[in-house]
Formats: sequence, C-alpha cells, structure tokens
Amino acid sequence: MANKNIRSLSSRKELDDNLFENIADLSLTHSTKEDFQNLAKRFMIDDSVVFGTASFYDFTREENRNKKIHVCSGTACMVANSQTNLYKNLENHFEEKEIGHAACVGRCHTNSAFMYNGNTYSANSSEGLEQILSSRAQSRDQKNDYNIDCNTTPILTSKIEDLTAFYSLAEKHKNNPQHVIQEIKTSNLRGRGGAGFPFWFKLDAVIKEPFDSAQDDTQKYVVCNADEGDPGAYSDMYLMEHQAHKVLLGMYMTGLTVGANTGVLYIRGEYPDSIRIIGEAISALKEKKLIGDFRFKIIRGQGSYVCGEETALLNSIEGLRPEVRVRPPYPAQYGLFGKPTVLSNVETFANIHWILENGGEAYAKLGTKQSSGTKLVSLDSFFNTPGMYEIEMGTPLKTIFEDFGNGFKSDVKAFQIGGPLGGIVPMHKIEDLTLDFESLNSNGFLLGHASVVSIPSDFPMIQFLEHLMEFTADESCGKCYPCRIGSHRGMEMLQKAQNSTYKIDRQLFDDLLETLEIGSLCALGGGIPLPVKNALQYFNDELKHYFTTN
Amino acid sequence: MKAYINNLAYDFIKGETILEYVRRIENNKNAIPTMCQDDRLENFGSCRVCSVEVAREKDGPTKTMASCHTPISEGLYIYHNTERMKRLRKNIVELVLTDYPADKIVPSEGKKITPFQETIAQIGIPTIRYPKGANHFDIQPDRAHPYIKSDLSQCINCFRCVRACEEIQGEMILGMSGRGFATNIIKGFDTSFDESACVSCGACVQTCPTEALTDKFETKTLIADKTVRTTCTYCGVGCQLDVSVIDGEIRGIQAPESAEVNQGHTCLKGRFAFQFYDHPDRLREPMIKKNGKFEEVTWEEAYDFIAKKLLEIKTNYGADSIGGISSSRATNEENYLMQKMIRVAVGTNNIDGCARVCHAPTAFGMQKSFGTGAATNSIEDLKQTDAIFMFGANPIKGHPVTGAKIKQAFMKGVTSIVVDPIKTKLADLATYFLQIRPGTNVAILNMMAHYIVKEGLVNKNFITSYTEKYEEFKNHVENLDMNELETLTGVSKDLVRKAAIAYAKADSAMEFHGLGVTEHFQGSKTVMLLSNLAMMTGNIGRNGVGLNPLRGQNNVQGAADMGVQPHQGAGYMDINKPEIQHYYAEKYGVKKMPEREGLKIPQMLDAAIDGTIKALYIMGEDTIMTDPNTNHSIKAFEKLELIVVQELFMTATSEMADVVLPASSYFEKNGTFTNGERRVQRVNKVIEPIGNTKPDGQIIIDIMSKLGYNQPKGLTYDAAKVIEEIADVIPFMKGLTWERLGENGLQWPINEDGTDTKMLHINGQFKKGVGTFHHFDFEESPEIVSHGKKYPFILTTGRELEHYNSGTMTRRTDNQAILGKDFLEVHPRDAKEKGIKDEEIVRIFSDRGSVNIPIKYSKNVKRGVLRTTFHQPEVFINIITGSVGDGETLTPEYKVVAVDFERAH
Repeated sequence: MANKNIRSLSSRKELDDNLFENIADLSLTHSTKEDFQNLAKRFMIDDSVVFGTASFYDFTREENRNKKIHVCSGTACMVANSQTNLYKNLENHFEEKEIGHAACVGRCHTNSAFMYNGNTYSANSSEGLEQILSSRAQSRDQKNDYNIDCNTTPILTSKIEDLTAFYSLAEKHKNNPQHVIQEIKTSNLRGRGGAGFPFWFKLDAVIKEPFDSAQDDTQKYVVCNADEGDPGAYSDMYLMEHQAHKVLLGMYMTGLTVGANTGVLYIRGEYPDSIRIIGEAISALKEKKLIGDFRFKIIRGQGSYVCGEETALLNSIEGLRPEVRVRPPYPAQYGLFGKPTVLSNVETFANIHWILENGGEAYAKLGTKQSSGTKLVSLDSFFNTPGMYEIEMGTPLKTIFEDFGNGFKSDVKAFQIGGPLGGIVPMHKIEDLTLDFESLNSNGFLLGHASVVSIPSDFPMIQFLEHLMEFTADESCGKCYPCRIGSHRGMEMLQKAQNSTYKIDRQLFDDLLETLEIGSLCALGGGIPLPVKNALQYFNDELKHYFTTN
Repeated sequence: MKAYINNLAYDFIKGETILEYVRRIENNKNAIPTMCQDDRLENFGSCRVCSVEVAREKDGPTKTMASCHTPISEGLYIYHNTERMKRLRKNIVELVLTDYPADKIVPSEGKKITPFQETIAQIGIPTIRYPKGANHFDIQPDRAHPYIKSDLSQCINCFRCVRACEEIQGEMILGMSGRGFATNIIKGFDTSFDESACVSCGACVQTCPTEALTDKFETKTLIADKTVRTTCTYCGVGCQLDVSVIDGEIRGIQAPESAEVNQGHTCLKGRFAFQFYDHPDRLREPMIKKNGKFEEVTWEEAYDFIAKKLLEIKTNYGADSIGGISSSRATNEENYLMQKMIRVAVGTNNIDGCARVCHAPTAFGMQKSFGTGAATNSIEDLKQTDAIFMFGANPIKGHPVTGAKIKQAFMKGVTSIVVDPIKTKLADLATYFLQIRPGTNVAILNMMAHYIVKEGLVNKNFITSYTEKYEEFKNHVENLDMNELETLTGVSKDLVRKAAIAYAKADSAMEFHGLGVTEHFQGSKTVMLLSNLAMMTGNIGRNGVGLNPLRGQNNVQGAADMGVQPHQGAGYMDINKPEIQHYYAEKYGVKKMPEREGLKIPQMLDAAIDGTIKALYIMGEDTIMTDPNTNHSIKAFEKLELIVVQELFMTATSEMADVVLPASSYFEKNGTFTNGERRVQRVNKVIEPIGNTKPDGQIIIDIMSKLGYNQPKGLTYDAAKVIEEIADVIPFMKGLTWERLGENGLQWPINEDGTDTKMLHINGQFKKGVGTFHHFDFEESPEIVSHGKKYPFILTTGRELEHYNSGTMTRRTDNQAILGKDFLEVHPRDAKEKGIKDEEIVRIFSDRGSVNIPIKYSKNVKRGVLRTTFHQPEVFINIITGSVGDGETLTPEYKVVAVDFERAH
C-alpha cells in the first residue's frame, strides 16, 4: 500500500485537525503559498502533498478558486438542454471566469441547476435567476422539492416519530453484536452503492480485526459514502435531507457492533443542504445525549466523482490524493488511516434500523430472494412526475415508470439507469426488466444507484457517448493507464468524429473499450465501456456512420 | 499450497503476489512485463501491463487481474501469456506512446536501453492508430539542480519516482498534481528540484524507467566498459555501489538492488560525489619540503628520506618518540598494516586513529559493559523493533540511508525517543523529544533509569541471570534528586518519566547513538549508562533491541578492530599483558613487541609540545583541521622533527608536513571496510591509481621494508593476502577470506567455517561472561566550570548531509554547489538581543580563539545554545574548540564549547 508515511502523519491529527479540511479551507479562502507551506510543515509532510491534493478537486484547484457560481454539468441537465439558457442568463451577472461547473447538484428533477453561495438552485428564466441572485436567498427559500412515494412497506421513506424512541433500538442491541450481524445476514441486505456486496460480511470482517491493546491501536472506523456522484441520482441526498437519523442510526449501530467509536460521513460538496441537515441532526443527537461518546464527523467533498470509489474516498479523507488504492488489503483490514473500517453507502446504513426493529427475516421477505428489501429510485425531469420513489426490489421497471413517473413528457428513446457507468437501456427493453441486481445484470445493464436519466429521441447518441467519455476523462484519478489515457483518447475520437470527417477506427475503438474494461484499476475506467457498448448495440444505426466499417 | 500456471501445478509461498509467483516458478524476472513495478516499492498497480487471466478452475472463465498486486491463492489458474493479455499489453503501450516522444521508443545512439524501452520491446512496438491528440511534449526540462535533471515530456506517469521519494528516502518532494490526463509529476510546491527541499539522493532517477529523470552523469543510459561493485567511503552505513567505468574514467554510480545494506539506495554523497577522484587538486607525486617549499621527488627518494629520518629519531630518542595516526577512511588491511608498522617496524604502541575524535568512547564503554565494542544488532532489526531510542545522533544527515529507514519508522509511528540539544528532523517526528542542555547526557540517563526503577519496569529475570552490580546502580539512581536533574538538563522530569516508561514498556527497544554521546567529557560514561538502560530492561540479545552506535566514518569500526589504538592490538587484545605481547610477536614473526602502552592523539600532541614526541607519521587524516584547539595542534606540529603525511589532497596538516606521499583513493585499490553493524565488505578497485599515487597499504609495506621489516606474504599490497594474515591474528575474524566476503560481506565474529553473526550477546550470553552495570554522577564539563561565566553560550557541532567531515572530498564535487558554507545556528532571540540580523557575519570566540561565521536564525536550538558545522576550511571552527576530552578515552568534547559572539567588525 502506497503512501503509508503520509497517511500515518495525517492520522496524527486525524479528524479533528484534518489535513483534507485544512487544504480545502486554505484553497477556498484565497490563501498564499506560504499558508499552504506552513500547513505542510505543521503536518511534517512536504509541499508536494498539499499542492497535489489541492490541485485534484474541482473546488480547490487553483484555476477554480475564483469561481463564484457553479453551473450543473450533470447528465440530466444536459439532456434537458437547460444549461445553455442558464449560462446565457448568468453572463448578465458574472464574468466568464467567475462561472465554474459542478458535476450534478441533485436537481435532476427540475434542471437549470446551479450552485451559488453555498446553496443549490434551479432557475429556468432570467427573472427567476435575478430573484435568486438579488435576494441572496437561502436555499430554504427555494426548496429542493420533488415527489416522494413508495410502493411497499416504507423502510426508507417512513417518518420517524420520536427520536429518543428511535435511538433506543441501539441501547437494546449494543451488547449483542453477533445478533446484529446475524439479523443483517438474514436480511440479505446488500450494499446500495451499486456493487451489491453483502453488508453483514463487512461487519463480520471488521469485528474480527483484532484490537491490539499493546500498541494502543484500538481505532476502528465507520465511514458513510455520501459522495453520490452519479449524475441523475439524488436518493442519498433525499435520505440525508429527509431521513438523516436513519443514516446516522445505521452508522452508530454499525459502530457499536464492530467496536468503532467514530463515524465519518463523506458528503459531496455539491450537496450543501445535506451537509447542513446532517450537521444539525448530529448536534441534536449530542444535545439529547443519544449516542454516548460516539463521534460523528462530516467531511465535505470538494468536487471529485472518483471519491465515490471507496478507497479513493478513504484517501480523500486522509488528505491524500484520492487515487484508487490496490486491493487487497480491503478497507475492512486497512481502511481509514490504515485502520479497520466498515464503509458503505448512505442507503445501506438507512436500512439498518428497520431490519433490527422488524427482524432480518421480515426484510428478506421484501423484494426477491437475491435482492431483498427496497430500493430508492430517482426519476428525472422527463417524467411527468419526477421524484424519489421507494420501490420494492423485483418490481417491473415499467410499473415504476408508469405508476410513479406517470410516463414521459416528451419522446424518449432510451434511458440510462444507474449513473454514468450504468447501462443505456433502449425503451423497448423496459418490458424485460425488473428493479433488482439480477434482472439488470443478466440483460447487460446495471442496477447501480438506480437513478434514471432519460435520453430524448432527438438527443444524438454520439453526443451522449462523448459526454460519458468526457465525464470519465475529467473525473479519472489519473493513476491507471487505461483510464488516464484511454478515456481521454476515447473522448478525443468521439469529438473529432462529430466535428470533422474523421471516422473512428472501429477495431481501435473496440480495443480501447476492452483495455478500459479489463485493464482499469477501478470501476470508473472499468465501467464506462458498458453503456458505450449498450449504445453501440442498440443504436448502431444512429452511430455507425461515425465509425469505419471494419 | 498449490496454484497453476498454464494448467501446471506449482507450490506457492504464502503472501506472494501472482507476479512474484510466476517470476519465481519460471525463474525469469521478465516472465510478465511491467512498467510501474519496482520490487522495493509497495505494490501500486498503475500501468496494468502485468495483467494476467485468472480462473478458479482449469480453463474456466477468467478474470483479468493485475499480477503485481493480486495475491496468489490456493487453486488459482494463472494464464499470463494469452493472446488476450498480449493484446491488452500492446493496447496499453499504444496508449502510452500517444503521449511519449517518438524518438525515444528505441535507445538513442550510444545509450543503454532504458527499462521502459525494454518493456516496449518485450511487448512489441505497436502502430499508433489514435489520431493526434493532447500531449505533454511541451513541458520544459528542469536542469537547475547540480545533479538531478528532469524532462517530463518523457514521463509515463508510473509514479515510481514519487513512490521512491516517499518509500525509499522518506521524503515527499516528488508528488503528483492535477487529475486524469492532466496528471503531472511535481517537485515540492510545483517548483524545480533545485528550489524544492530535495535531498538529492537520486532514488527517483534510479527507479525512473525512462529518461524523464536523469542525473548530470546520465548514469542509467551509460554503456560502461565495466561496472565494479564497491563499498562507499562516506559513512558507516557501508552502501554498496556499482561504479561505471568508461575508458578508465569513472562516469557514474548506481546502487545495486541486491545489496543487503542499501537495497539499491544511497545518498547524494555515495551516488554523485565522486568527482573528487581526479580533481586537479589531487596529489600526484611524492613531495619533500625543501627550504620551506614542497618539491616533487621520486618515491624512492621520499622513502629513503623518511626511513633515514625515522631511524635517526628512533636511535636518538627511542621508538616511543615516534607516533602514528591512522585513518578510519582507509581499508582494514591498511589500518592493520599501519598499526603493524608502528608496532613492529618502528617499535612503539604510539598508534592511534581518528576514532579518537569520534567513537573511541563507544568501543571503550561497550567493552566495559558487554565485552565487545561494537553494535550489538543489525540495521535490518529496525523492521522488528517496537521502540527506537535515538541519543545524540542525526542519521538523516550523517547516515542518510539508515537515517531514511529510521525516519520512516518514526513517521509510521513507532514509539520514538530522541535526546538531543538540537531539534532535528527526527526530534520533530519523535513521540518524545528530550531537548537537553549540551553536556548533560549522564544526568538525563540517570533520570531515565530512576523512573524505570521507580515504575517497577526493570527486567528482573534478565538482570539476575546475566548481569552484575545492578544493586549498586539501582541504589545510586534511586536516590538522585529529580528536581535537581530537571534543572540541570532543562528537560521536564515528567517528560523524561514518560519517555522512560515508553522505552521500558516496549517489547523490543533499540538504542542508537552517535557523536552526541561520545564527544563529551563524560562520553564513555554515557555509553555505559546507555548499556545499563538496555540491560535493565532486557533489551539485549534479541532481534529489534540492543545498543547500536552509528559510526561516523566508513571504517571506524574496522580501524579499531585492526588495532589502531595505543592500548589494544589487532582484535582488541590488551598489549600490556605479556602473554598478548608474545602472541603478537609470534604472529608477526618478531622477537619482541613494544611493552609500554602508547599515547592517544591528544597525548601525542601534548608530548610533541613537551618534546618527547619527535615524529608523526600520519595516514589520511587532517589532524590540524579536525582536532580541537587548532592553535594547540599547530604549536605541537611546529615542534616536530618529522611529519610524514599520506594524503589525497593538500590539507592543513599536509601543508605542515616534511614529506607528503600521494595516496590512491578508495576507487583505486582493493581492501575492505567494516560498517557500523560489524559487516566487513569488499572495496574493489575500480580504476588504476591516479597519477603517481600508491595505495596507502603499498606505501606502508614499502616503508616497513625500508625500516627492515618485510611483509611475510610479499612486498606487493594485496588485500586478499593481508586478509589471510588478519584472519590468522584476530580470533573473531578466523573464517574471513577475500573470497567468502562475496557481494554482501560478512558480519563478525566470522567463524572458521565462514558463517557470520548478525547479533551479539544472544540470550544474555555476554562476550565478557556477564553484563556489568556501572554508575556515575553527572559532572559538569570543566569547559563550562572554567569558562562558562565568561563565555555564556554553549557551542555544539554537527554535520550536514552534503559534506563529509572536513570536506576534503565533498568540497571538490558539486555537493559544494548545493551547500557551500558553514553557518552558525542561533536562536533568533539570542541574536536579536545582540542586535544581529539573520545571515549577518559574527565573530564567535572562546578562551582559545575566534572565527568569523555567518549566522542563521534557527529555532532548532534552545536559547543559549549555538550549533555549527565544520566542513569548510574558511571557518576553521576548531580554532575555538577546547582541550577537554572524555575522561577515559580523551575523545575531544566538540559538543560543548563555552563561547560568546558579536557582530564581526
């Protein structure tokens, strides 16, 4: 494992005087080179570490430090074609150099989205924009509202009536970790970040990591991956902003179970409301003394999709560059600051209360045998009723689209489910698919985070592919060769084919896709060929004239 | 435990990666191509060309995995050279080449192939099918640093340099900036090598698989006539070096990865500072001073002159009027011959060496405590220790390769204690830093022992089973007044207590010490107290424990082993004992050995002033510059009738000589050096002697012959033959032969069958039978007692990374361009009180004299303490140092000098 020295030095100041937060603070406050160098000195690391980290993220890199407003560049806003207009309107208020971008701010249901003054907004008219800018409005003035509904026993969308009662569950289970693990095992809860890894397995692995009392090395961590980077997905945002205590209780319970006294939420900076609301929820817990001496820490992401990859996320918290680590060792053995760590997605943690209250068996009865429980599905603005829907696993996609989305506002030829690395599903395939890991997998797609982004009939597929490849190239951590160079070359070819007579060598393109798919270190480079291949398969007629025929 | 390669079953080793497994089974380092792999670095997995197909069953469905970071496990089927993998590798190389200069794909004319070029060739040069896109060809080269150059247009972003910087050298100068395709190597805060805090070790250059990072000498692409492995001369670590020679000239140095001591690493001195060897200043002809001026003479004339003079003086004043000073930079064989010449051919025990000014107290103190004056353990034990106690040493500067290992252990959070008056980098990183007032070593160690006793953390079993006189020691420290010692040392007793507990509680604690222990009035006593600490906690005779002196010069250990001491002959036998005299007489084939114990260097100088020493024969030592109280030394030299100096360069000492004999450097001769962990390693001749120089060993044999003693194995210096003699004389070298030393040397004791010894005193079996506790009270240095009032500041001295002691060699290389000045470090408030600004020149003065030196504001020294280096003759700091020495060994107290300073006029 690389960077052990830097990691260890960073761990000396750990979370309270966190290196990453320090670097971010300096970057966001127009600090001098000397300030950064003093920070390096204080951490006994060299300048290259702070420079390298600061230069990585959208919000901290030097060229972006003067940006005053960040326009959403997410897929949903792109296909909705709302951003050109927004940008034009913004130019009346900002200089070009003051306008930056943010990779999806979670307003996929309304579009025309941007981030300003630590809040996110949607403004589809010049008047609307002026109002936002003039009032110096708080985001609360323009609530991020969307439909919320459920087609089964509500687990994630139910209301918490009494906080103390809600947390009393932890008291009940805290002395019986094996029971907790058993219930979760019985529930067959699988990680909701996309990979679908059985959650109990992580708990079991971390609880088995020895406490080394001689070395005074008793630290373990729970880390919540709230870096919901998939453009089009806002289910984690929903949970944090509407169900904060389900998430926190899940983390707390996990900590009690595996012997970790610290829970870290890594929340993307594009979700300022989530950060605020989770922060308030933690304060409430402390005030009400509901979590003993358990410690919560929020780390604010600074604009990087790859931080949603678990090892990059850990590096990010540590203040290192979020380059993907090799595995093994897995986070359960060598996680945050090299300590045993349970790391999972927001939605995974949010299920735990229900499972423990109602029993693993009851949970397992929901959904399918292999995909139990429910899944949040976020629908974009092409649906007549966009929003957040808690759907029992195994439900036909058609049902979701028709009963909850109420169909599309305009013609849609395909949709991408599960984020930029998820499959591109042509509309006709919808009949074959149900909402669960297996159905999507076996049809050549992915459940992912179950976000749905529509691709309108008049949106050129080649442009969509370019967008995906550009996203990958932009967000690549730069560590492994296939992703660092390959995604960039892929993007260049797709651009060139649109802007000139150049035709992409199909053999070369297939070679590139194979290199990315089997050669990449993580799921970013490794995942991008899936939607591209879907598109080449299902939209060959539209795409073929951009390629040579060999 | 079996896995399969192409369906054939082979055993695997637990923890092995697939890459290691396939390489081992196929016995081929290139079984699978790699780019980002360096076996010394942590697995990284960036290039992906080492990918293989892996199946759970024979010919089953495969997954592609990077073999470098995937562990092999039971029943895995590995297919590493399938068409699919060959295609993947070629496709990756094609991607890399879209951003790599087309003219660098194959080696340029006259250049050796680079590892990357080899990998391309192995995988096959692909046709680049991609349209022209973005690239990094316009990154400007960085050529500002004297040694290390970069041309990142050739960089393939393998991160090897970045990882080497952190994982080998323990620095983080190299890093990455940006992300995705815009990822770039940076130095420091995106600056040049020269402006960054780079320590110039060159690890990045050596690991870089392209010419993106190179050195001034373009070492990695040299097509050498030959590459000779030898041992570095620059410190007691004993790095192995591969020296490349073209047309009889040294053209570059790299560190062999197979070296046990340095694993492919070395520092800027070892790697780059070799240009002194043919510097115009090298002495090339023998010279005799005639009418106050040196004149070149023939060797024969010089020899005759010396022999005649020595015999004359011997006849007139007796053999004891002659003294010899040997050098810890010379080989074991030469040191052995030198002491033999003085004892046998001249007939006196007046033989001493430069260990006198450094580690004599270590040898003395450890012999008193344990029976052997050498490191008890090996450096590799660092991997097995739970606590490191660093006392009066700064290995990051003095012993860079070992220092980098220790620094990394500190960074990774090993329990660490530093005792030093200077806040070193290690002190910064340490768990406990005890910043003592210079000269209070005994006091601080008594405090630590006190608390270990008080806290009941002594290892009673070890003490009763293997040691003696513990009770006396215990009674002594138990009754000391901690408040008084707290005031004396300037370190809070609470902190000392915590450090003592941490040391005693560690399962395995390793002590290291340097000249901050020995170069003191109570130097030998401090060594014995350090020994006590190890014994009372049972930290002796196991892995990861012990007392490990960090030897300053490359062969300090060896020079003492060889008998370069006035009281002990080769192999540390007491020359005062008649039976030992007989032993040596028989071995050397002479009737009689000198009977009187000889003089130590400071005594020789005093005796010269008294008129009882008339001649000094000096081999490779700049006594005038390095010994304290220069004016006193000069006065002594002026009274001598004969001064003979064997040297590489004119020095302050050779300027005063009557005869100067030009010696060959370590590149020009064979021999052995013994490093700080008792490891005898070969010095192999790389080039022919420069000019009309001769190896010191040859000169000594010639002079001996002139004096009437012929080396029994012939009059030509042959290291292998001298080793035969050494093995015959020194019991603990019995199994030593030139052949057996091989590439990585042997650690003494070397048994008759050639097996060697990594650790001494195993399981409490002390060399002297039983470990002995000694106890002492702290005593203020006479320097402070006599002069402290008048000169209220304490000056202490130390080294910098770039230079080696008096700098005769390193100043004649580009190291001087990196650091060309000595500085006086002063606490800013002390300087400001005198109205002196940063970098102003001050006059620093003591009871002996004064020198001018620029100051540097530094908070690494406490108020009242000053620190300086002694590398540059312009400053000649020893004009102000004093004559106080260690009570037992007379090692000068360089570390405590009562001084004051003022703005220079």
